[in-house]
Amino acid sequence: MKWRYLLFALFLWTLPALGQQVEIFGYFEPQFMGAKIGDEFYQLSSNKLRVDLQLRTSDRVSFGANFDYITYHGKTDWDLKLFMPENVVNEVSDINMFGYSFNPYHWEFSDRQFLDNAFVKFSFSKFDLTVGKQQISLGTGYVWNPVDVFNRKDIVDPTYEQPGHNAIRLDIPISSKWGITSIYAPTDNWKADDLLLKLKGNLGHFDFSILGIQKQWKFTDARIVDFINQKFYQLPTRRQILGFDFAGELFGLGVWGEAAHNRLLIENDDWLDYEKQLAMTSLGASLPMSLERNFWEWVVGADYTFDSQTYVMAEFYQNYFAKDDYNDYRFNDWMQYYMAETKTLSRDQCYTMIQHPVTDLLSASISGIYSFSDESSAVFPMIVYNLFEDVDLTFIGNFYLGKEGTAYAKNLGNGFMARAKVYF
Amino acid sequence: MKKIIWGLAILLFAFSSVQAQSLTAEEIIQKVNALMNQKSVYAKARMTIVTTSGKKRTFEYESWSKDSGEKNLIRYTAPHRVKGQAILMLNNADDIWAYFPRTRRVRKLASHAKKQKMQGSDFSYEDMGTGDAFVNDFTAEKLKDEKIEGFDCYKVELTRKKGADSQYSRLICWVIKKNFFPVVIDYYDDKNPDIWVKRMVQKDIREIDGIPTGLKIVMYNKNDNTQTEMEFLEVKYNFPLSDDMFSERSLAK
Repeated sequence: MKWRYLLFALFLWTLPALGQQVEIFGYFEPQFMGAKIGDEFYQLSSNKLRVDLQLRTSDRVSFGANFDYITYHGKTDWDLKLFMPENVVNEVSDINMFGYSFNPYHWEFSDRQFLDNAFVKFSFSKFDLTVGKQQISLGTGYVWNPVDVFNRKDIVDPTYEQPGHNAIRLDIPISSKWGITSIYAPTDNWKADDLLLKLKGNLGHFDFSILGIQKQWKFTDARIVDFINQKFYQLPTRRQILGFDFAGELFGLGVWGEAAHNRLLIENDDWLDYEKQLAMTSLGASLPMSLERNFWEWVVGADYTFDSQTYVMAEFYQNYFAKDDYNDYRFNDWMQYYMAETKTLSRDQCYTMIQHPVTDLLSASISGIYSFSDESSAVFPMIVYNLFEDVDLTFIGNFYLGKEGTAYAKNLGNGFMARAKVYF
Repeated sequence: MKKIIWGLAILLFAFSSVQAQSLTAEEIIQKVNALMNQKSVYAKARMTIVTTSGKKRTFEYESWSKDSGEKNLIRYTAPHRVKGQAILMLNNADDIWAYFPRTRRVRKLASHAKKQKMQGSDFSYEDMGTGDAFVNDFTAEKLKDEKIEGFDCYKVELTRKKGADSQYSRLICWVIKKNFFPVVIDYYDDKNPDIWVKRMVQKDIREIDGIPTGLKIVMYNKNDNTQTEMEFLEVKYNFPLSDDMFSERSLAK
């Protein structure tokens, strides 16, 4: 472990040597979370240090990188079955090996240090080329982005930064209003590499994009466990998407939307291998994952700022990959949701938010999510206070109200998060 | 001969004052509009917010404006918390985009976002630059001339036209007679034109590139009892500026 500390110290120490053009900035983020689940109260805290560096070697070449160092404390090991309904948990059992019983369905928060982004950007008069690990943001939705196959936002804090992705990105402006973006992201197999082509334009007060995407998408069947590597079985698929998004103004309201048609391609050999693996379990081959091969996702939203500075917004999302009856949610559906392989567990849901600047330094908001499919809901009150020039304090509560078995069920627990963010 | 020259001088003075006196409210506002919306403007500014509790917050930003204020770009340079955030306003702020460097996301905002406070200050994005809004969105009426901040001024009332999307129902401007510089502007509530919400005072007025410029602007918020001071550290006028500067591509740079 020591070599990592040394490497990080060396990394920081060498930065000034790169010259005066290097800009070093970032933030330190201590965070405390508490949650009451059942009769227990759990605590998890973390400390995150993010060091960003930017270097512009000429008008045409720039380099950017972020180094993240995160430590976790308190309850760092979570049993995922704690957050699932009983009937679903009964689908699986603990693993017995050499007389020992262990639970493979747990999530461990372990200390991490990694390069989140590291990219070089070449800017020419006709195009920009960005190579390396970089943030990719697609779509116009606030909470859900059907066309963003690279990220899934956190419903409690949708504006939190997203991780970097290894890719080559080419941006070609055609005019001041039109442009083309293409992204190539290599995977473990060149046949399954990720590709994206986007045409972006502007008509009147509306921006819109048309996108064609091919992305490798792996589905976890968590009932099949690789004991040696402690991994779940993953079925590789190719996801082909044709989508569009827009953002603009209608009758004084800000409006936006996205739609994506998804097609899942599964190689015959992969499916046979999956069935073979499944047959080797106690389940037999009779219960494979039910995967929608063709499905739509779409989102629409609107927002408005009143003269009192109060901001309101609402967004509706429909995901045909998800189920509309909570009695049909299976163990794999929950696991795929927790592993961010699908954006939602229930088919139809809406998100609303009302935000008001109480003072110049304090902003309060309350957001809520409601599933029309299973009639579950959750509310997230939030306060952001600017304590000092470069210090923000954030308090977020989370209260789940749905009945057991639903997407936003009470047994997910009620809790809060307190976060300080110190920028440098 | 001397008598003739003096006579001509007096005549010219009398003629020019009669001409000045005879300017209509529309003509005055046209001149203000022309003065405030130069072909291109670059400014580097420091904004200090004084909250109700007396706490201060300071922001620094650079701004570029082109085509007589029709295109505007604002990029924050300090503090670290907001550094890199940028706002692009086109078509007299009818089209707005915001860039957030932490997520590398560009978000299109509807024009209601103009009402939002600029980083919690007493300036809204509408106050920062909406091109020809004084001329297009308001009708002007001349009130009795007044002396304010030590200057002889025209006092002009601007009333919002029906259908205009300004957040203010009316404005009262004090315009310096000798150079048509709007030294004080009072802003009135969107719904109730009797409620006075803000006062902007331009101070330290100097000529830069031949154009009168207030190097310090103070916005007093009557509702919240707060104030924001904007100090211009550098100002440049009428220099070549590419259209590429006012694009989404440039916003994310």
